[in-house]
Amino acid sequence: MRLYLEVARLSFRRHLAYRAATIAGLFTNSVFGVLIAAVFTALYRDRAGDVAGFSLPEALTFVWASQSLITFAALWGWWEIATAIKTGDVVADLMKPFSFQGYWLSRDLGRAACHFLLRMLPTFLVGGLFYDLALPRSPLTWLAVAPSLVLAVVVSFGWRFVLNLSAFWLLDHRGISSIAVLVVNFFSGFLVPLAFFPPELRAVTNLLPFRAIVMLPIEILLGQRAVAPALGIQLFWAVALALLAQAVLASAVRKVVIQGG
Amino acid sequence: MAAPLIVARDLSKTFLVARRRGGALGALRGLVDRGGTEVHAVAGVSFGVGRGELLAFVGPNGAGKSTTIKMLTGILVPSAGEATVDGLVPWKQRKRLARRIGVVFGQRTQLWWDLPLIESLELLRHVYRVPADRFRSNLAAMRELLALDPFLATPVRQLSLGQRMRGDLAAAVLHDPPLLYLDEPTIGLDLVAKARVREFLAEINRDRGVTVLLTTHDLADVEALCRRMIVIDRGRLLYDGAIDDLRRRYGTHRTLVVDRDGGAWDVAPPLPGAELVKTEGPRAWLRFDRQKVSAADLIAAVAAGAPLRDVAIEEPAIEEIVRRIYGEGTGAAVAEDARSGRTASSGGTLPADEPDRDAPRIIPRSP
Amino acid sequence: MGRVSELMDELTVCGHLAAARVRSEMQYRLSFALQIVGTFGFYTIYFLSIFILFGHFETMGGWRVGEIAFLFGLAGLSFGIAHMVAGGFASFSDLIVRGEFDRVLLRPVGAILQVIATGVQLRNLGDVLQGMVVLGVALRLVAIDWTLGRLLYFPVVVLSIALLFVSLFALQATLCFWTTEATEVANAFTYGGRDLARYPIHIFDGWLRRLFLFVIPVGLVVYAPSLYLLDKTDPLDLPTWTRFVAPVAGLAFALLAGAAWRLGVRHYRSTGT
Repeated sequence: MRLYLEVARLSFRRHLAYRAATIAGLFTNSVFGVLIAAVFTALYRDRAGDVAGFSLPEALTFVWASQSLITFAALWGWWEIATAIKTGDVVADLMKPFSFQGYWLSRDLGRAACHFLLRMLPTFLVGGLFYDLALPRSPLTWLAVAPSLVLAVVVSFGWRFVLNLSAFWLLDHRGISSIAVLVVNFFSGFLVPLAFFPPELRAVTNLLPFRAIVMLPIEILLGQRAVAPALGIQLFWAVALALLAQAVLASAVRKVVIQGG
Repeated sequence: MAAPLIVARDLSKTFLVARRRGGALGALRGLVDRGGTEVHAVAGVSFGVGRGELLAFVGPNGAGKSTTIKMLTGILVPSAGEATVDGLVPWKQRKRLARRIGVVFGQRTQLWWDLPLIESLELLRHVYRVPADRFRSNLAAMRELLALDPFLATPVRQLSLGQRMRGDLAAAVLHDPPLLYLDEPTIGLDLVAKARVREFLAEINRDRGVTVLLTTHDLADVEALCRRMIVIDRGRLLYDGAIDDLRRRYGTHRTLVVDRDGGAWDVAPPLPGAELVKTEGPRAWLRFDRQKVSAADLIAAVAAGAPLRDVAIEEPAIEEIVRRIYGEGTGAAVAEDARSGRTASSGGTLPADEPDRDAPRIIPRSP
Repeated sequence: MGRVSELMDELTVCGHLAAARVRSEMQYRLSFALQIVGTFGFYTIYFLSIFILFGHFETMGGWRVGEIAFLFGLAGLSFGIAHMVAGGFASFSDLIVRGEFDRVLLRPVGAILQVIATGVQLRNLGDVLQGMVVLGVALRLVAIDWTLGRLLYFPVVVLSIALLFVSLFALQATLCFWTTEATEVANAFTYGGRDLARYPIHIFDGWLRRLFLFVIPVGLVVYAPSLYLLDKTDPLDLPTWTRFVAPVAGLAFALLAGAAWRLGVRHYRSTGT
């Protein structure tokens, strides 16, 4: 356990170093936040009242929360393991006396912790400063958001881990990557809150893990969903994807053993 | 003699290196405020190169040799000074000059990574607009000279370093440039591959009259290929002249190698002006100052002490001399040093591992 | 005359370079196919999102779904063309960091042409196709009165938008001659400009609107001409002539980007080998 904590700590510190990129990223996220907020504002101006259970402040909260989640939950991909597989560094890691999956999960949690401080909080603060957001009054709700965010990263990690392992079979990950981004963008509720989706499409998103990455934490924040069942769904997907990842990893290792890397 | 091919006068390049500021705010300020320290990568370098020469630029990493070459190819605009290459000002007439030079970077290929070698060469034919028959005959010559045939159809990413270098050499001369620049062409190559590169350079210089200017920190390249060398350090010329001259002026020490007939050596240096470097079985190495003792006298003296089977005289290694030039900073000081007879350390190549001093720092993006 | 034939020669060379780039991309066939599907799908889900939103809202700033779809299609098609052409600028910081811009300067071809030719992104054909599909959908939803003027102006607008975005990517690349650390900032203007172009610009307020109308004239190449093409009234009351200056705005911005680029090249520092 200590080992994994140490791995997470090192990863946290490593990401802390990218300061210029942090400022640049905050600027870019904020511009997009302003832009999408303007779109929702214009829509609500033409039609007063709540829509699909969202008031305008709630819609704006969704906009800034979703922008904050991009880097924190690595929505648009992350290919460190695939790179390690290509360079062959992965073989050494597989030999080491620790869980390969646990090792990378620790690294990703360290990364997410850093991005929480450097990217997520500042972006959300910008939104809070310039917009009228629907923020929870009860400290209990804020408290419930915390485990939900952790689970969001774990679910996202499970998905990305499986995608990265595809590098054992495929030469080039750019194709998979471009498909993965659009699937996550759409089915997680990043582009449009899932509550706006027509019922048939909602039924599909309920069967997929992606809402656990974006929509569920935001719905908990907005008090739109009972906390315990929401966390339960996230936990379910965290475990399910971890098991899937383990199975894929096992078959990848068999392949390495047979082909000698 | 015809007009020189390259003329450089007081060529200088000064980089402004941004101060590294701490913190995120500092990084942002760095975008706006370009205050920083000036680094004189090249500080007033003058020289000329005649047609048909084969000469080497020697110096440690960051000495300014790559920067000088980059100014002479038109990649960098100098901060001060002037230069012409084949009558053109490189940074002003870059495209015209590009047709008359070939450039090889030892650490970077100009070939298309994912395409077969032959396709890269075909592409370069278009880029340089080489007439078809000229291309055909040049390609045939290169295939022969560099033995390209076994891997002509192989994607470049699958070539060994040595094969890739051969491909790069062919690529650089397909358009018949009268001038070829090479930046560390033998870096990372094994001995066989190095020898092949040197052979190639000697041959195109001799048979095709191509002027060759190379930078290297492997002085074996220089000894094998060049008659003239330019030593550069901290942006300044330390030496420009014939290698033989350098040896004559600064390398007063030679080494006498003697093989004794039976038995091992146990003698002290028999004459003043010579010292025993080491012995190995029947062989002994004696270092002597040719101004104090003649080789003939020394041999005679050694032979008087023990029967000899074989004798040889080794010239001073160039790297030893160059190392001294760096150590002292100026040629005059080196001459002093050589006369005072202080010993210099010996070694295969010059230090290559120190960080570039003239290279601006570019930090990789975050993932 | 000499300059024209020189330019033609260079364009021929660039044709070969671009073809080589495409052959390289095709080396990974499956990945390449997936990327085309990916870029097509990427913009499709954005468009789908708008449809989903319009399932709940009638209009956006007084514009109906078909009109918004028209903006999506116009912006998507033009940006797709720009993205395909300017891939080399978009990834220019890699070229600088790896020191490969040296090689560009060593070839007897203009640097801008080479960066474009060696960076062509055929996979962005997905965006272009998607833009066309969305335009097709839009034209079924809104009836445009295709006068001769509109018919002739439409392709000019497409090219003007593409030119503006190519120039924006070129400016982003130019920034790399000074710093490669914070180029993500430029994304706010390139991709941000693309996203903004999909909506009527009057829904944005204050500095954002002024920035994208007068500094980076996205509004002048997309919104203003669309008012003419769709025959819409303008809540911003921009003068009528602004609807017809798209090519001027595109060209002016391109000239500006070109000047900045030349300044940048003189500033090029090259990484030491």
